[in-house]
Amino acid sequence: MNRTVLIIGLIIVAAIVVVLFAGLGKDPQHIDSPLVGKPAPPFALKAVGTGETIDLESLRGKPVIVNFWATWCVPCYEEHPTLVANARQLPDVQFIGVVFNDEESKIMSFLAARGSAYPTLLDANGKTAIAYGVGGVPETYFINPAGTIVAKFEGPMSTEILQANLAKALR
Amino acid sequence: MIATFFLIALLQIKVPDAAQIVGQPQGTPLSGPQLERRTMEISSELRCPVCQGLAIGDSPSIMAANMKAQVRELLQRGYSEQQILSYFEKSYGQFVLLKPKFQGVNALVWVLPIAVLAIGLVLVVSKAKKLETAPVAAPPPEEPVDDPYLARVRDLVEKP
Repeated sequence: MNRTVLIIGLIIVAAIVVVLFAGLGKDPQHIDSPLVGKPAPPFALKAVGTGETIDLESLRGKPVIVNFWATWCVPCYEEHPTLVANARQLPDVQFIGVVFNDEESKIMSFLAARGSAYPTLLDANGKTAIAYGVGGVPETYFINPAGTIVAKFEGPMSTEILQANLAKALR
Repeated sequence: MIATFFLIALLQIKVPDAAQIVGQPQGTPLSGPQLERRTMEISSELRCPVCQGLAIGDSPSIMAANMKAQVRELLQRGYSEQQILSYFEKSYGQFVLLKPKFQGVNALVWVLPIAVLAIGLVLVVSKAKKLETAPVAAPPPEEPVDDPYLARVRDLVEKP
């Protein structure tokens, strides 16, 4: 009887240890996107500054990188030069910035001070961000030419991270 | 408020709509105190994606405020609770549900505590039954004492 209790106890403890060990090193804020492998939610938003409407569906046929950001987001300042430099080097890839819960004047000042190489759209009430399952900013979605989301990256990207994820969209 | 609505309408041409994601509303459009109550109730079931274990109804974050506003709007349009939860689940996955669904690995969250409790109960009952049926041990027989000091004490005590 005591042996049975010991074995059951050990099994329970081992199961708990396995679960805790599996969680070590994982970011508790990381969300696996259920949208990867699915069609990108459609949107058509007005670009800051120009007022031009950018419709995601009109961009079919080329890879699209959708970067959610905001001027109140500190890591976005760190990431911005990487995005601008890559957008200038990769003319066949459509970069789109989507800003939510922000003011157009602040976005214009940000872009004027730090450069701009692609359209920045205003998602005034965050509905597009919700449809994409955005948790925090910056967050970037990689869409292949067929309009399917192939990767999602949370946090500021380096050129290496950007190009590794872009490669998935070019396969 | 009206100005904000028109500003949003002017800025946004097309955003992903709930009808494309969870179909047409299957409930009754709500308004007034009932709308506020149901908004709070459903907001307490959805996890804020930028906070540690907080419901969107309890979180001060911008993202949570946007999600709560979306819950409110969907209720106004007549979406049912199940449709609203499903709408957020399609974007964020099961992570967004504070009460996990009874399926896949999540089922363990529901089953494991009950299973452990049941195993514990079985062990306690079987142990108790064994204790009840075990024969009461007879007292050990008195051993003869050959200690000379004890024999002397006994002699002195027993002498009249």
